[in-house]
Formats: sequence, C-alpha cells, structure tokens
Amino acid sequence: MLHSSFDPVALAVPFFILTIFLEIVLARIGLIKATYEGRDTVASLAMGLGRGLPGLVLNGAIFAASVWVYQHRVFTVPFAALWGWVVIFFLEDLTYYGFHRFSHERRFWWASHVNHHTSQHYNLSTALRQTWTGGIAGTWLLWLPLTWLGFSPAQVAIQQGISLVYQFWIHTEAIGRMPAWFEAIFNTPSHHRVHHARNPRYLDRNYAGILIIWDKMFGTFQPELDEEAPRYGIVKNLGSFNILRVAFHEWISIGKDLLTARSPRDVAGYLFGPPGWSPDGSRQTSEDLRADWVASQVPATDHKG
Amino acid sequence: MAGKAFLIQFAGSAAFVAVLAAVAALARISKPRSALTQERARALLADEFPGREMEAVWVSDDGCGAVARAGAQALILTEIGDGYVARDIPWDGALAARPNKGIVQFDLADIAAPRARLAFAVWPPGDTH
Ligand SMILES: [Zn+2]
Ligand SMILES: [Zn+2]
Repeated sequence: MLHSSFDPVALAVPFFILTIFLEIVLARIGLIKATYEGRDTVASLAMGLGRGLPGLVLNGAIFAASVWVYQHRVFTVPFAALWGWVVIFFLEDLTYYGFHRFSHERRFWWASHVNHHTSQHYNLSTALRQTWTGGIAGTWLLWLPLTWLGFSPAQVAIQQGISLVYQFWIHTEAIGRMPAWFEAIFNTPSHHRVHHARNPRYLDRNYAGILIIWDKMFGTFQPELDEEAPRYGIVKNLGSFNILRVAFHEWISIGKDLLTARSPRDVAGYLFGPPGWSPDGSRQTSEDLRADWVASQVPATDHKG
Repeated sequence: MAGKAFLIQFAGSAAFVAVLAAVAALARISKPRSALTQERARALLADEFPGREMEAVWVSDDGCGAVARAGAQALILTEIGDGYVARDIPWDGALAARPNKGIVQFDLADIAAPRARLAFAVWPPGDTH
C-alpha cells in the first residue's frame, strides 16, 4: 500500500480548532492557565494553515522518492500486521528524535525548524506553528530508511501523522504534571515546555516526539524545575509577527553570512555549524550561553545590593 | 477534483483561523503588561545577556523599552506584543542615533528584528560617562 486515504492530521483539524477555542475560553474565565496574544495567535495559526502550500510543490517528489526506495526494500512488513505497527511506533519515534536533535544542533536544519520556536507563548496554537521549509531542508530523507526496511510509504506517513497529532496536546501550560509513570515514559506538557524554553539551562533539551525515553538514553533530558519557570521563544526573539519573517528569517541570515564568508571553513560553519556559530566566535551558541549562565551563577550574590 | 477540494478545505480553515484569532484577541488573556522600571529592565536584560555587566540603564520615556551600556556594547530592549525583544549593538552606533519627534530608531542590523523604536525625547543621555 503506497498511498493512504487515512490522514490523522486532517482528521484531527476540527479537534485542534475546538481545543484551542476551549483553552482560550477556559483561560478567560480563570479555570486554567494560558496566555494568548492576538497577533501571536494569528502568526501561529497562519503558519499551520500555510504548511500545506509548499507541500503542493514538493510532496509529489518526496512521495516519488519514497516509492522508489520502497521498490528497493529489504523486507516487506504487512500493513495489517499488529507487530508492524508496534515496531514502526518505536522506530519512527527514534527517527523523530534524531531529526529533531539534528534540527536544533545544525544551522541548515535549524533554519527550517526555528519557526516552531519563534512564539513567546506556549499554548495550543503554538503547536500549529509548523515549518514551511522542511521539504527544502530535506529532513524527510531521514524517514526513508524505514521505507527501505519494508514499511510502506503509507504506513510511515500515518505514523508520522500520529506523532504530530500526539504532540499537539502537550503545547499547553494548563497541565502541570502528568502522573509520575506517564512523565517517565511519555513526552508531556512539562517536558516539552522545557524544550520551548530559552533559559540557558533548558536550551537544546527534550527532543522527544511521543516517548521521552530517547532523551534519557542519549543524555538530552532535562526535567522542568519548579524554581526556574520557562521563558519561551528563541535565544534572539523575533521583532515582528510577519509570517514571512517567521518562515524565512534564518534562511536569509544564512545567505547574508555566506556573502561574508572568506574560506570553505566559514561556509561549512555558517551552513552546518551549530546555530550561533561564527568564524571568530563573536556570536554565541547554546553551549556558550549555557557556560555564561553557569559562570554568572557563581558570583550571583555579589551582584544583588 | 483534488484542486477544488483543497481550495475549499483551505478556505474553510482560513475562516476558522480568522475566528480563532479574533476570539484570542477579544479574550484579553495576554501576559500582564506594565511600564518598565530600572529594576525590571535590568532583570530582563540580565536574562537576555547572562553575565554581562551593565554600567547604566536608561528606560524609555513611555516605559516600553530600555538601553543599557555594557562596555563597548549597547543592550537594547523593546516591547513586541506582550513580550520583549533584545539585541546588542556597538555602543558608538547607539550613541549616534538621534530622536525624531521623540522617537529614537536603533538599527539592530538583524533580519529577525531590524530596528527598535524607543521613546526618548533626549538622546544620547547626558550621563554617558
Ligand atoms: Zn524543537
Ligand atoms: Zn513544540
């Protein structure tokens, strides 16, 4: 089975709209914690809405690539087999972890993923602030090994959709902590708040899709701390709600930097170094910011007064 | 026809986006906003630039932004929506800006935040060391 008419994301859209509406109303009457700002919400929802547009151009080619890989698969996993769904659940989630970590640690892919993080709010509408340039960035290539192993393109697409739908509900401040056993296994609002935070100690942590276990296995897990409330957004927040700026600002920055590059090393660093890399080290990466923050914590008592 | 179905779906979703955005704006549940004080501006800038020593902070006349001097750098803070944006630029550049009808425009030289417009009737301040 190559193409499936079952699209979890399309089916979930009415649920997305209804729950965002509920989150706003319940926050308005003071029943839950949530903040919304008009222009920020417009930007998030418009990014979600526009997500399908670049797909119109690229999806055909991406689909054709996955069909070609499927024709050269090593095994065949029957679509109806339950074990196949169990296996792809874990493999797809591990792939997502890799994709997501890559998207934060290397600037070329960060340029595509950054817009998901540009809101200074953390509410259900933030979940819909999706990239427009993932197809161009080529991150879809990372899922091809699953197809090569023998999962049909349709099955991979459905599992990706399930993961995206799962990640919707965790974009909220309305839920504090889930039961301990759930927090231990699954990605939760608490874990993902850390991921969206720009506090130095929270930067580049909790890349999980559905399962938080990968972060714990690979050393990128950071629990949310009661003494440190997350501040949302990116290290250098956007000074605009214009969705074109949201979607393309980092690509344009890369282009400007490349124009100043003086060596192949500069080109490689600007494209594939960590975000914040610069030839002379005058800018700050996440690691630099974390180091500064750690250093500033030691003499903190001297600064009060 | 797939194209027509897509257009209908897109138009429908766009209508919902408009309604939701209106509801979000009318609900008035943005983060509480208040004019900046010296202390608050310092605290916000300290979050933005951990470990940077600030020699002086000037809060804009309307309390919507601030400029701090940190050695050869100017740390600039300005409101966006119910949040803030900050950038550092060379101090000399910040010093060279002049008010126009009570507004000083600082060039932040960044596509993600091109400029900050802060209300300063007088700029540069007299006490710039
Ligand atoms: Zn991310
Ligand atoms: Zn997210």
